[in-house]
Amino acid sequence: MNRSVRFPVAALAAALTLTACGGNVPSTGGVTAATPGAAAAQGAKGSLTVGLLNPTTGPFTALGEDVNAGFELYLASKGGTLGGYGINIVKEDEANDPGVATTKARQLVEQNKAGLVVGLVNSGVAYAVAPYLKEAGVPLLITVAGADGLTREKNGNLFRVSYTGSQDTMPAGDFVCKTLGLKTASIVALDYSFGWEAAGGFARTYEDAGCKIVQELYAPLGTQDYAPYVNQIDRNAEVVFTVAPGSDAIRFFKAVQGFGLKTPVFAHGSTTDETVLPSLAASADGVQSSLHYAPSLETPVNKAFAEAWEKEAKRSVNQYAEDGWAAAQVLEAALTSLDGEATPTAVRDALSNVSIEAPRGPLKFDEYGQAVYDVHFRKVEKKDGDWVNTVTGSAKNVSQFYTYDPAEYLRFPSYDDLKGTWAK
Amino acid sequence: MSWVSNLLNGLAFGSLLFLVASGLTITFGLMRTINLAHGAFYLLGGYFAFDLFERTDNYWLSLLLAVALTAALGMLMERFLLHRLLNQELPQIILTVGVALIVGDLLLAKYGGNPISPPVPAQLEGSLQLSDTMVFPKFRAFLIILALVLAALTVAFLRWSSVGAKVRAAVDDQDIARSIGIPVPIIFLLVFGAGTALAAFAGVWGGALTSLSPDAGFEVLLLALVVVVVGGLGSVPGALIAAFAVGLLDQFGRVLFPEWALFTVYAPVALFLAFRPTGLMGQVATR
Repeated sequence: MNRSVRFPVAALAAALTLTACGGNVPSTGGVTAATPGAAAAQGAKGSLTVGLLNPTTGPFTALGEDVNAGFELYLASKGGTLGGYGINIVKEDEANDPGVATTKARQLVEQNKAGLVVGLVNSGVAYAVAPYLKEAGVPLLITVAGADGLTREKNGNLFRVSYTGSQDTMPAGDFVCKTLGLKTASIVALDYSFGWEAAGGFARTYEDAGCKIVQELYAPLGTQDYAPYVNQIDRNAEVVFTVAPGSDAIRFFKAVQGFGLKTPVFAHGSTTDETVLPSLAASADGVQSSLHYAPSLETPVNKAFAEAWEKEAKRSVNQYAEDGWAAAQVLEAALTSLDGEATPTAVRDALSNVSIEAPRGPLKFDEYGQAVYDVHFRKVEKKDGDWVNTVTGSAKNVSQFYTYDPAEYLRFPSYDDLKGTWAK
Repeated sequence: MSWVSNLLNGLAFGSLLFLVASGLTITFGLMRTINLAHGAFYLLGGYFAFDLFERTDNYWLSLLLAVALTAALGMLMERFLLHRLLNQELPQIILTVGVALIVGDLLLAKYGGNPISPPVPAQLEGSLQLSDTMVFPKFRAFLIILALVLAALTVAFLRWSSVGAKVRAAVDDQDIARSIGIPVPIIFLLVFGAGTALAAFAGVWGGALTSLSPDAGFEVLLLALVVVVVGGLGSVPGALIAAFAVGLLDQFGRVLFPEWALFTVYAPVALFLAFRPTGLMGQVATR
């Protein structure tokens, strides 16, 4: 090979490598945010070390930091003690990397003596960390990672305050079909497990309610231009159901707006949540969605949360901050019921019986450790100059199985296998 | 949807790719300096424009300042870091990746990880009604024109201006160029500045279409490298043709074979380079 060829090929290969490990970019070095030298917090009943294991570098930094901030904000509002126990927080960066995260979990348990680990954003990371914590006997409270399969074991030591992929969209199928009366739907979703689960949950209940999915389009995560997909949307469909959080949401709605798609859009709530809403702005005007949280909920608990958050962060609350806050509330309720040393086993048993009033509304766990909560239907509107998700209705006490019998639901083929079969 | 609309959009996406790649054609293609921080300068341009627009509410001022600021940073990097590594490919790669990672982390620290959208000039909001059923966004239509104009200007500059001739001479044989009085270090500094200015310009325009986040730099870099390499190193017309080809390929690939969307760009490119490693209009190296 002569020089002129080797040169570009080497550069291209280097860039490909960098893009392939994009999960680790910008950097992977874990930084301990905690100050180990600080005096251990002591409460009337004792103390507990909590490991906060969230990404603080890499693509999910914003989510991880909001969860951490929500958790710490609640803890601070209680003066550093929850349910009579002084809480010592040790923060580690899971760096969106299964290997790093498992090492950090081990470190939290073995070195820092954490009695509970809270966090995890990427489901792949959660699948790697969960078996270790199970073996170590330390309970795990998941705050974002959404894979359906994580909460399928009865009486385990894994709990999740956030949604499963399909949990927040199953009520939407009924709502769109029966309440909104939109009878045919075209699906545009991200082409990976979360997209399949969220779209599948919607498709299942939508078709069971008697309506019809007429088209399914799946776009790779991080698609730069959504015009090819938006242009393919069946113009006869009465509604477009979409699952595209983060940057994909911005690109999707830009294409929807630019190419003049008039069909109403219903989305998984992450697609229009407050982390992207300021950038979506008018392009998402009128878009409806379903999610277990909406900042505009008019409850005293939510108002107290929003007030505390906005004072600290100077921006709107969002589902991730609420997940962190609710996780701290859950821990408080569990610890309140305890007496004596807060061992991992005692904390686990106490967590399983928790029932609290979170900013989102009532929250408890099913026997699989998955949160049962109200799912809210929201609509993007402009209020006092800001774009917000206004609540238009709610489905009460939604479990990960919705209205289906758990045993029957668990026999259904997985959403990965059902992808592409809904429209047939 | 009609073929015309797909065709137009493929060209628009290709134009975006050309904008992104244009700076790289100059620094990487012409100067033969591997700059893997190109994506980072793209991000800097977009974030600066976003930030300035929030403060000043003046689009053109934000664009101008963002481009100028980024170009200044690029020239600082050339003068103090890259200049020491002339013609040393591996150290260049390591250095520029390092700069890209640092820029990504700084942006993350300053602006947070949520995606942002740089501003769009008010005149380009909305859509054109091409026919009864066909609507095309003004912004994308303008991108096509912008890419063509930019390509023409760059080609004209390199071919017919005296600075362009000096650039070509400096790249071709540094020692001879120096001996006849061409200030090679200054030429390289200015060329690199122009490359980063184009990267920043692309960041403002491209970012407005695709949104920006601190980790988007490498995605952009990869697309730009593909265009530059397929077009042939240092050839602006080659890059333009390659950008349009890749844009159309991507567009029609996603429409006709949606299952293979991840491969519609890279598989044909790999195949093409296997048979024509110098790219469309690349020349066999003379050195």
